[in-house]
Amino acid sequence: MRTSGVFTFKGASLIALFLTSAISALGFLWPFLINEKQGHPQWIFLMATPFALLLLLISSSNNQLDSKSIALLAVLTALIAALRPMGTGAVGIEPMWFVLILSARVFGPSFGFLLGTLSMLLSAILTGGMGPWVAYQAFAAGWIGLGVALIPRSLRGKKEIFALVIYGILAAEFFGIAMDLQFWPWALGTDTQLSYLAGAPIAENLSRFFSYHFLSAMAWDIPRAIFTASLIAIAGKSILQTLRRAHTKAAFLTPIEFIEHVKVQKASN
Amino acid sequence: MKKPLHPLTLWICAILLAIGVVALDNAFIALAIVGAVALLVYIRRDGSPWQRSFALSIRIGLTILAIRTVVGILIGVPIPGTNLFTLPILDLPSWMPGIRIGGAVTLERLSSSLHEGVIIATMIALFGAATSLTSPHKLLRVTPSFIYEIGITLVIATSVFPQLATSARRIRTAQKLRGFEKLELRSIAIPLLEESLSRSLQLASAMDARGYGISRKRSRYRPIPWLMRDNLTLLFTSVLAVAMVTR
Amino acid sequence: MITFSNVSLIYPQSTKTILEDLSFQIEEGEMVLVMGETGSGKSSLLRLINGLVPHHTGGILAGDISVDGISTRTVKPGSLAHLVGIVGQNPINGFVTDIVEEELAFSMEALNFAPDVMRKRVEEVLDLLSLSALRNRSIATLSGGEQQRLAIGAALVMHPKVLVLDEPTSALDPIAAEEVLSVLHRLVHDLSVTVIIAEHRLERVIQFVDRIIFIEGNGDTSIGTADEILKNSDLVPPIVKLARALNLSEIGTSVREVRRQTEDVRSKEYVRPSNTPTHTSTAIEISKVSHSYSGKTALNGVSASINHGEIVAIMGRNGAGKSTLLHSIVGLHSPQAGEIRVDGVDPTTLKGAERRKSIGYVPQEPSDLLFASTVSEECALADRSNDLTPGSTASLLNRLVPDISTHAHPNDLSEGQRLALVLSIVLSGNPEVLVLDEPTRGLDYRAKNLFAIALREYATQFNRPVLLATHDVELVAELADRVLFLAEGEIVADGTTLDVLLSSPAFAPQVAKVMSPKPWLTVSDVVHAIEGQS
Repeated sequence: MRTSGVFTFKGASLIALFLTSAISALGFLWPFLINEKQGHPQWIFLMATPFALLLLLISSSNNQLDSKSIALLAVLTALIAALRPMGTGAVGIEPMWFVLILSARVFGPSFGFLLGTLSMLLSAILTGGMGPWVAYQAFAAGWIGLGVALIPRSLRGKKEIFALVIYGILAAEFFGIAMDLQFWPWALGTDTQLSYLAGAPIAENLSRFFSYHFLSAMAWDIPRAIFTASLIAIAGKSILQTLRRAHTKAAFLTPIEFIEHVKVQKASN
Repeated sequence: MKKPLHPLTLWICAILLAIGVVALDNAFIALAIVGAVALLVYIRRDGSPWQRSFALSIRIGLTILAIRTVVGILIGVPIPGTNLFTLPILDLPSWMPGIRIGGAVTLERLSSSLHEGVIIATMIALFGAATSLTSPHKLLRVTPSFIYEIGITLVIATSVFPQLATSARRIRTAQKLRGFEKLELRSIAIPLLEESLSRSLQLASAMDARGYGISRKRSRYRPIPWLMRDNLTLLFTSVLAVAMVTR
Repeated sequence: MITFSNVSLIYPQSTKTILEDLSFQIEEGEMVLVMGETGSGKSSLLRLINGLVPHHTGGILAGDISVDGISTRTVKPGSLAHLVGIVGQNPINGFVTDIVEEELAFSMEALNFAPDVMRKRVEEVLDLLSLSALRNRSIATLSGGEQQRLAIGAALVMHPKVLVLDEPTSALDPIAAEEVLSVLHRLVHDLSVTVIIAEHRLERVIQFVDRIIFIEGNGDTSIGTADEILKNSDLVPPIVKLARALNLSEIGTSVREVRRQTEDVRSKEYVRPSNTPTHTSTAIEISKVSHSYSGKTALNGVSASINHGEIVAIMGRNGAGKSTLLHSIVGLHSPQAGEIRVDGVDPTTLKGAERRKSIGYVPQEPSDLLFASTVSEECALADRSNDLTPGSTASLLNRLVPDISTHAHPNDLSEGQRLALVLSIVLSGNPEVLVLDEPTRGLDYRAKNLFAIALREYATQFNRPVLLATHDVELVAELADRVLFLAEGEIVADGTTLDVLLSSPAFAPQVAKVMSPKPWLTVSDVVHAIEGQS
C-alpha cells in the first residue's frame, strides 16, 4: 500500500486532454485552415475554446486531485499568478515562466499543465485582464507545463539546467507565437496587408503571419526568452532543489506498511 | 441599491451583451453601452482589490484600439474615399512580402479601423466590468460539484494570494536589515518558495484530517440563492441582446 | 477512549525508530500533555491518533492504535474526523477559505452534511468560542489568538470526542494563551472531550493536565501523572524546579499548590539584595517617538534610553506597538515624530556592511535570512559578506550548538538549531547592538537555556545592549535587566525586570506568583535569598 501520487492525466481525463487540446489548437490555427467566408470561425472558436477548457477542468476534477496535489497546486498557482503582473510594466519581464517550467519538471507534466492553466485563470480573475484571450492563454501556458515531459526524467545537474534553459527559450517563443496567432485576427482585422487572407493557400498566410510576428517578437518574445533563460540559468539549481525537497516531504507514493513486530534498532546517531 | 446579485448573473449578462454588440456592429451604441457599464461600476465600487479590473480592461481596450488604428493607417488595405493626409511611403526589403507602409490615408480607412477597434474594446470592457463587479470568493462559492476539486484549488489560491505579498515584504525587510540592500532574486525567492511549499504541505495534512476526499458528494453551507432580481436582470439583458442581434 | 498497543513507528526513508513499543490508554475526558525535546517524535505521536501517520505521510507501523474502538489501520484519517479533531502548529496554514464562517463549514461540506445541520453546528461553535462577532471577517485580519480559536472551532464542528493540539499557545501572548487554555479546560470538564496537547511552555499548561506522556531523547516513553513524570525529568517548568530547590515533599503543578507548601519560606524576612548601581553609557536614545500607519497610531510619544551592556525586554500584548518600536529602532523607517539614535547615529542611514556592524537583527521568522542549501554554505556566505576568515561563523555556531550537522539543509534543522544558525550569522557581523523579535517561539527549555547563556555572554563580554521583543515571561525573568512595557503605543512601565514583572499579575513569572509578595522572579533568586539568610 502506498500513499497517493501527484495528479496525472489518465484514462478519461487523458482523452479529454487530447480532444480539448485539439479543439483549442484549431482555435489558434484556424486562419490557415478554414475559409472564413463560410461561417464566422473567429467567433465560433471564441466560444469553443473556453468551453473546451471548462470540459477539461471538469474531467480533471476527479479523485486523482487529492489534498496534496490540490494544496501544492493552489499555492504554486497563487505564486505564479502573483508573479505575472510584474510583466505588464516592462515588456517581456515575466518571472512566471521559470517557476512554471521548474515546477512542472519536479511535479510532472500533468501537474504542470494544470498549473499553467489555473495560474492564467487565477491571474485573470484576480488582477483583471479577463477577456476573450484567457482560454487561449490558459491552454498555451498549460502546454508549456505539459511540454516539460520532453526532457528526459533522469537528467540531473548541469545537463538538466542546460536542457531547461533551452526549453525555456523555446517555451517563451512558443507562447509568443501562440499569443500572436490568437491575437492576429483581433489586432489586424481582415483588411490590412498583413492580415490573413480567407481561403488563401497556407504558404501565403504563413508568410503574412511571420511578418506580423517578427515585429512583436522583437518587442516581447526575445526579451521574454532571454529573461526566462537567465532566471533558469542563475537560480534554477536552488529552485529545483527547494521544489524537490517539498516533493520528498510531501511523501508521494510512500509505502504504508502494517507489521506485527519491528526489529528494534536503537538510535545510534 | 447595493443588493447582491448572484455572481453568475452579471457574467451571463456580459456574454449576452457581447454577442449583441458584435452582431449589431454599431460603434456608437457600443460606446453607449461602455458608458452605462462604467457608470454601474462606479456606483457599486466598494474598494475591493478586484475592482481595478475594469480600469485595466479599459486600458487594454484602448491599446487595441490604438494598435488597430495605427496599423490600419500604416499597412491597411486602402479604402478609397476622402483623403485626409498622406504618409510617406516606406519600402520594405524584398524578403518581407511586398508590403507598402504609408500612402494616402482616407477617412474611410480611419473610421473603419476605429469602428472595429471600438467593438473589440467594448467587448473587453464588458468582461472587465463583470470581473470588477463580482467577488472572486463568491464566484468560487458557486462552482458546481462536478468541478469541485478545481474550485477548491482556486479558492485556496485566492486566499493564499494576498498573503504572498505580505510574506515577500517581510522577507525583503529581514534581508535589508541584514545589510543586503540589493534586491537579489535568490535571497527572496528561496525563502518565499520554502515558506509557501511548507505551508501547502501543512494545508494538505489539515485537509485530510478534516475529512476532505472521503465523500464523493459534497453539500453547500450557504448556497447563494438565485433570486427574482437575477431572473429580471437576465430577462432584460436577453431582450436587449436579441434586439441587437436581429436588428 | 484511545488505546496504543505495542506501537512502533519507522519512516521508510530513515533507519531511526521514532517510537518503540509504546502502550498506553487514555480515558474519556482526560487532558494529557505530550512533552519531549524538539525532534523527539511528539508530532508523530499526535498524528498517529487520527491516522495521518501513516496514511498521509507513509510509514511502517507495528502495533495498533484504536480510538473509541476503531482501529486507525483500517480507515483513512478523514473518516475519523467525527472522532478526532486535530489542530496544527500554525493555524493559518490549515485554513482553506478566507471567511470565518465558511471555514467552520468546510469539514462538514466535504463530508456532505445536510445544510440545516451545518447551520446549527456553526452557530454552536461560534458561541462556544466567542467568535460570533467575527463571523464575516476575513481570516487574514484576525489576531493570533482569534485564529487559534477558529482552528479549534473548525475541528469542533465535527463534535469530535478527541481533540489533539500541537503547540497551540506558542505564538500567543500570555493573555491570549490563557483564553485558549481555558476554552480547552471547559471542553474537558463540561463536554468531556479528551484533549491531547503537545507544548514546550510547560508552565502554561501544567496545572490543567491530568497525565503526561514524556518522550525522551533516546526513544523511551513514560506515562504517568504530572507528579510522577516531573519528579525525575530534566525538562521541568519553574515551579517544579522551585519545589526541588526547596526540597518540598510534593511536586505541585499549580501556583496554588506550591504556595501552600511554601508558606513558611515566605513568612520569613530576608535581606534585600543590594542593587549595585550601574554607571554605563547610553547606547540607544529614543526621544518622543510617534508613528502611525493606515490611520492607526502605533507609537505615541515613546521615550526611553538603553545602556551599554543592558538586556532589555520589550513586552506587551500583540498590537501594542512592539514591532513598530523595534522597526523604528533598527531603522527600517524614520519615525514620523521624535528621533532615535543608536550610538549617536540615525539608524535609517545605515546600509550594507556598516549596518551589519552597527545593528544585528534576528527576525521573527529566522528562516527569512536563510537561502543557501547547507549550513556550511550559510556560514561561508556570512564569512564572505563580513570579510572574516573562513570558518569563523561556523565555529561560532559550533559553540552554540555543538552537535549540529553542517551538511543539513537549514530548513531541516530544529527550531533551536535554526535560531542558533541565524544568531551566528548575525553575530558574525560583530554588531554593536543586538535586536531580536520573538526569538523563543517553539524552543524547548534546553534550547532556551543555551540561547539565554549566549545572549548574556554577548552583553556582558562586549558591554553591548541586547533588545528583545518577547512574550516569554520566564525568559525575561531569567535574562533581562530591564523591561519596557508597551500598551496601545505608549510605554506604561519602564524599570528593572523585578519591578515591572512583579507589578503585573498577567505577566508575572511562576516563581513570582508563588512567592508573592516576596521580590523574587526566578528559582535562583529564591535560593540566593535563602542562602543569604543562613
